[in-house]
Amino acid sequence: MVTAFDYVPAIVLLPFVSFVVALFIGKQLPKKGAYGGIAATAGSLLLSLWVLASVAGGGAHQETYWTWAEGVGSQPFTLEFGALIDPLSALMLVIVTLIATLVHVFSLGYMNDEGERDLPRYYAGLGLFTASMLGFVIADNLLMAFMFFELVGLCSFLLIGFHFREPGPPSAAKKAFLVTRFGDYFLLVGVVAVFATFGTAAFAGAESFPALAEGALDGTVDVWTPGGLDTMTWFTVVGLLVLGGVIGKSAQFPLHTWLPDAMEGPTPVSALIHAATMVAAGVYLVARMYGFYALTPTTLGIIALVGGFTALFAATMGLVKEELKQVLAYSTISQYGYMMLALGSGGYVAAVFHLTTHAFFKALLFLGAGSVIIAMHHNENMWDMGGLKNKMPVTYWTFLAGSLALAGIFPFAGFWSKDEILYEALIHAGSEPLLFAGYAMGLLAVPVTAFYTFRMVFLTFHGNARSEIARNPEPVRWNVKGPLSVLGALAVVTGGINMVPVQKVLGIEGIDYLHLWLDNHWGGIEGLSSHHYAEIDPYSSTYPFGTEVATVLAGAAISLALAVAGLLLAWKLYNVAEPVEHTDKLGGAKTLLYNNYYQDEFQVWLADRTRGVSGGADTFDQGVVDGVVNGVSSVSLFGGDRIKRIQTGVVGNYALLLTVSLTALLVVFALLGGWF
Amino acid sequence: MSLLQIEPTSWLFALSSLGPTVVLVLSALAVLAIDSLSPDARSNTRLAATAAAGTLIALGITVWYLLAGTGQPATGGAISLFSGAIVVDGMGLFFTAIFTSVAALVVVASYDYLEDDANPAAFYSLLLFATTAMSLMAVANSLATVFISLEMASLPSYALVAYLKTNRGSVEAGLKYFLIGAVSAAVFAFGISLVYAATGSLLLPDIATAIGDVTDLAGILGVGILMVAGGFLFKTASVPFHFWAPEAYEGAPAPVSAFLSSASKAAGFAVAFRVFAEAFMPALDVAVDWGLLFGILAVVTMVLGNFAAATQTNVKRMLAYSSIGHAGYALIGLAAVTAGAGANNATVMGAAMAHLLVYGFMNTGAFLFIAMIERWGVGRTFEDYAGIGRKAPMASMAMAVFMFSLAGLPLFGGFFSKYFLFLGAINAGFWWLAAVGAVTSALSLYYYSRVVKALWLEEPTGNLDALDSKPTGLYAAVIVAGVITVLLLPGFGPVIETAEAAAAAVFA
Repeated sequence: MVTAFDYVPAIVLLPFVSFVVALFIGKQLPKKGAYGGIAATAGSLLLSLWVLASVAGGGAHQETYWTWAEGVGSQPFTLEFGALIDPLSALMLVIVTLIATLVHVFSLGYMNDEGERDLPRYYAGLGLFTASMLGFVIADNLLMAFMFFELVGLCSFLLIGFHFREPGPPSAAKKAFLVTRFGDYFLLVGVVAVFATFGTAAFAGAESFPALAEGALDGTVDVWTPGGLDTMTWFTVVGLLVLGGVIGKSAQFPLHTWLPDAMEGPTPVSALIHAATMVAAGVYLVARMYGFYALTPTTLGIIALVGGFTALFAATMGLVKEELKQVLAYSTISQYGYMMLALGSGGYVAAVFHLTTHAFFKALLFLGAGSVIIAMHHNENMWDMGGLKNKMPVTYWTFLAGSLALAGIFPFAGFWSKDEILYEALIHAGSEPLLFAGYAMGLLAVPVTAFYTFRMVFLTFHGNARSEIARNPEPVRWNVKGPLSVLGALAVVTGGINMVPVQKVLGIEGIDYLHLWLDNHWGGIEGLSSHHYAEIDPYSSTYPFGTEVATVLAGAAISLALAVAGLLLAWKLYNVAEPVEHTDKLGGAKTLLYNNYYQDEFQVWLADRTRGVSGGADTFDQGVVDGVVNGVSSVSLFGGDRIKRIQTGVVGNYALLLTVSLTALLVVFALLGGWF
Repeated sequence: MSLLQIEPTSWLFALSSLGPTVVLVLSALAVLAIDSLSPDARSNTRLAATAAAGTLIALGITVWYLLAGTGQPATGGAISLFSGAIVVDGMGLFFTAIFTSVAALVVVASYDYLEDDANPAAFYSLLLFATTAMSLMAVANSLATVFISLEMASLPSYALVAYLKTNRGSVEAGLKYFLIGAVSAAVFAFGISLVYAATGSLLLPDIATAIGDVTDLAGILGVGILMVAGGFLFKTASVPFHFWAPEAYEGAPAPVSAFLSSASKAAGFAVAFRVFAEAFMPALDVAVDWGLLFGILAVVTMVLGNFAAATQTNVKRMLAYSSIGHAGYALIGLAAVTAGAGANNATVMGAAMAHLLVYGFMNTGAFLFIAMIERWGVGRTFEDYAGIGRKAPMASMAMAVFMFSLAGLPLFGGFFSKYFLFLGAINAGFWWLAAVGAVTSALSLYYYSRVVKALWLEEPTGNLDALDSKPTGLYAAVIVAGVITVLLLPGFGPVIETAEAAAAAVFA
């Protein structure tokens, strides 16, 4: 019988086909390949939904498609391409394909209607980007995941630098590529370390590396460690190495600097990068191998701390930005910080939940921003906007829904997921001081988030129009409004998939659908359930407000109160007819925030300091490596010249040389063989 | 008492087992007969057709036997004829397929090359007799048949090199080839006599059995083996018996160079592989570590051939040296052999055989391209080749394929054959051979790509009007060789499997 799982490769291949088609015959196609891309991603979406339904029907699937290298000898590694379909990847497939489809539709309005050139290249890039991310999502081993992870990075480079004729985008693309590549070096070393340690990089099954690591810590399995290092220490090192790639891709401190610059890419691409592909890849990777991370408390603590710090740190930078997309970029960094905080504090489900809700509301906000940008003739400065509320109602109301979700206002999607993250961090903080620091920073980021979000909303949509364009914005068409409406609805209702506080407070069982889903309630793969992760992670729950219900209520109340406080402050300062800049009141902090804490400068400074090292490497490359190569060629040409001279053309010389050589060989082998 | 009375075989069976050889002899005789019956007629077409038919039929029979399993384990193992002096098996058939393919290509190409020749019959018959002798070399199982067939192949070769009687270079090259050949044959014959003195037999399996009992004669045996190796080194144009090669290949008519550097070299390896694998394996521990000998010579040959090729200005001479370098690669098949490692030995020797097959096509094609240039009379140096790609795109494309395939770029058959060869060497523990092979291959890309650069990227320096004539036979041969070189990339699987199975049967 044909099942949905037989079509899993097609989910990846459809966008890939659209990439090939757009690349080669895009010019001849109507809309330059957009329809092909929409059809391919919509097809993938339908197949993904079918896969999701099949997983809900009790299925799960793991299949190896191709063993592309088989080891020999004592360390028989097999390198494979395969698919792992469990509740997590099935959910992610739907998110990615849905966002990709909507982004394709939106691109009709943002790219085609605006008369951009080189559209086949654009749609080819989108197709490959989607295909790479989908390949990453279904990957059943770390090496395959790494390969697609790199492809995702390559595609983002291509798309961020889409407008390569202008000065900004190519430089931003290079920055994105290099900064994430820096993290990926660690990931690559981590992949090799995983292979060296466990002999496999599979995610699932009894012979997978998380399972072997668990066995190794129990003392039932023997694994290799360098220099006989303690297994726990070594696993922590491996986990941190892999985390390097995650921090780069998910734009966590200190490798977050590429993401704000990546705004140079076309806005639909930003939506894709921020919501469903590039940045999501990092967090997804941690969730994918959570069975490994949960084993090492130190790694979890570091993940939580990095996440919490990034959440607060990025949010403060979002406070003073003047460009619409810049604010959104910092909010993305901050929100992924929350997800990392959740993963670090044992909140696997909370992280996936926030990944889901964030995908919807962040895609919505970016597409909304894109709509505004169309209307404003590509002026992104919020101080030139204002009063757009009445002129573009669909954009306004959907953008508002997304903003409420981002700010974490009840009952929008972001409230539920962010609340669960903070709750998980809070109840586990008792056993781990690092977690408490993470929780505190996460909590502090809440009002900041609400403030910058609504500062953005008020400046853009409320008050009086502050420029001629804002008075007469360009209208947008269905292909912009359609995706906005779909995402707007999702931003409102997605919280309903996981209403844990309601369940706990009112005692209604079975409405925490996402918890049940990720706990293999309907189907899944042994060892990849949230229940299993909770068993192996090092945390125990304590309730600082007495009972569980009290803690739930108190936690939700605190975060909601802080969010509303931030919102109200924004309301007071910016929801006026003629808002003025209040940033001067920040004093010296303003300059600091404007310059993003001088992180870029710091990295450049760091690069300058290490110039000696890289200069040395360059000298080594130029002098020694190239020198050897050049030397070899001159030696060979010289040697060739000598050899040419042996060939004198006199046959007597040849006979002599031949006889002498033969005699020499006879003597040498006679001595070796002991014939005398 | 005739030989066959002690052998339970019939003449008919023997002849059918040696089908390719018989067909080659008959077609050579037919060429002579046609020429004798009508000596005055312009019969180049008829002669070429006869010779081509002969080689192609012989090739067909060989391939048929290979596929049908004649002489291979599937149908009862090697067929031993004439008291074991000849043995028909997979290895013999595999090499015969190389010789007949190369001969067919060369015959077709020679049709144009000999268009103005007074007496083409001599050329075709010599070529066919040489091919006949090579097919005997591939199945020779006694040092007597080895020596006779080797000389039988060499004598027509000398004459072929000197075929252009009025051309000083050709005659001089033929004479040098003959003199070095005479020295080598003397060394070879002396070596055989020493081996016979030590073991008391000329049959390869009997030698292997007798080596175990050689005690105080180990030195004699060792010297004998070394000198026998000398005879093969001459035939394969390996250092230090290579001195004839650059001059013979350069002076000879280009189709003859193609024939000698591909088929004749392969024949030398065919007989060397068999003799050393069947007869001298036990001598590795007893008399002389000939694996080390071939290892040293392989390294020296690879280095010398490629280094010398890099500095040539004449394309044909460059190819001559590259051909020496490739002999070094094939020598790895003997160098990476160790006592008691049956599977690894067969793998690496099979890889060397497969390399010789691929090499047969790409190298023949390259020399035939030179033949085409010679026929056009364009010139011999790299500068003279400039811009030919524009006037003769098909042939130049094929030449680019040959060059890149010879260098081992992963788009053509030459990649896999080198890859498997080096991999086999590494697996057998001879990583240094593979390393030298890889480094010299990288160097070879330099001089091979010079040809491609001249053909396609440079502006013509001279008058290329001569290129308006299109020699059909030469074109056909070059294009066919090019197509096969490309097809050997996807089709390499069956080739390497056949070769390794054949090699395994010899080692067993």
